[in-house]
Amino acid sequence: MKSSQVPVARKEGLVIQETSEEVLVYDLTSNKAHCLNQTAAFVWKSCDGNNSIPEISKLLENESGSAIHEDLIWLAIDQLNEKNLLEKEMASSFAGRSRREVIKKIGLAAVIALPIVASITAPTSALASTSCACVNPGDCIAQTMCPSTVNCNPSGVCAP
Amino acid sequence: MNSAAEKSGKIVNSSNNYIAIESFGVKLSIFSARKDILEEVKDRLSRILPEELFQIISHRKAVHTFSIRSNNSAEFVLFKGRKKITYGNDRENFLKFVDWQIRLTIAEFAEARVFLHAGVVAWKEKAIILPAGSFQGKTTLVKELTKLGARYYSDEYAVLDEEGFVHPFPKMLSIRGLTDKYRQTDYAVETFGGRKGITPVPVGMILLTTFESGAEWDPELLSEGLGVIELLSHTIPIRYNPKFSLKVLNKTVNRAIIVKTKRGEAEEFAVKLLSFFENKAF
Repeated sequence: MKSSQVPVARKEGLVIQETSEEVLVYDLTSNKAHCLNQTAAFVWKSCDGNNSIPEISKLLENESGSAIHEDLIWLAIDQLNEKNLLEKEMASSFAGRSRREVIKKIGLAAVIALPIVASITAPTSALASTSCACVNPGDCIAQTMCPSTVNCNPSGVCAP
Repeated sequence: MNSAAEKSGKIVNSSNNYIAIESFGVKLSIFSARKDILEEVKDRLSRILPEELFQIISHRKAVHTFSIRSNNSAEFVLFKGRKKITYGNDRENFLKFVDWQIRLTIAEFAEARVFLHAGVVAWKEKAIILPAGSFQGKTTLVKELTKLGARYYSDEYAVLDEEGFVHPFPKMLSIRGLTDKYRQTDYAVETFGGRKGITPVPVGMILLTTFESGAEWDPELLSEGLGVIELLSHTIPIRYNPKFSLKVLNKTVNRAIIVKTKRGEAEEFAVKLLSFFENKAF
């Protein structure tokens, strides 16, 4: 495990909002929004370029009052990597184990919630407000929520 | 028909060739060399936008410009700025598409407001927001809730201000299936014994629901953060103004319970929903 690595949270190009328990992050580059649960948010905020993985683990132990396995921090780092929320990609290592195996192992022992980063790609305005109105079939291609994306019926609706 | 003259470039753009409106600070114009089309677009405005929420302005002030033209292959061609948006020969379908584009432009660029694609009612001065795409039964559920005494705010948009309060957008209810399965017919909410809301109200509940025949009321409560993630799919200005949108959504969920459940028939569901809301939010 590469515990000597020091992760740095990305700050540029992000809009950040905190709810009472979670952190919302909107990536202006990819138009993706992420919701970091409390554990993931704690790890992300601790990625200040000074704290190593064992140190973040210790900080979380102090915060939660319970023993924290380093794999739990890596689980958060792995997701933050994947969502492009770190300045530099960390060489995540579960020593040949899959994320699922690690979750299974930590999940049984964890006292605090496993880190979760839920994400969504922000829709374009037209997609967010799909009306299914059409004049020709071409209007339906992008209206993916309609009953049909290939047919504009005689009522002017993207539907059979 | 002016299309021949239009194609030959003999049409001189005068203010008579435009309709321009301002709504929520969005100034847009529609150009056409055909008077009949312009008149019809104008007549339809009060059906697609609540009358008190727009005003006619000079076309010179417009920032967003649409034009309706003709070419050799289509009687109606719609441009937004210089970009061709659609074309076709069916007048009614074309005008419906124009209606959508007008509403969409207002919803995306509205000043100091965030538009969600959602139905909205208010119960005892707290709003219930029902975000959903088309064909998800938004209007049907809104109609049933207003029949039970909820105030009607919108069957299409939740209009949120920067404090997360929802404002009325009481366009006529567009109900499908009365004449055919897909065609919409517009009705005033009063037709169903409902009444419009007139003041901004805080959001008490966000209900994420999809119709499934025979589904039982089985509510799952979501956290604020996951609530925002769910709302983003229906947030029209999220790409145009993500910072403001996210701030408003955060304020909105902060006061609301966020519930996810499948739903069966709207009539029965509406009763259970209001009973749940009464118990949880007051």
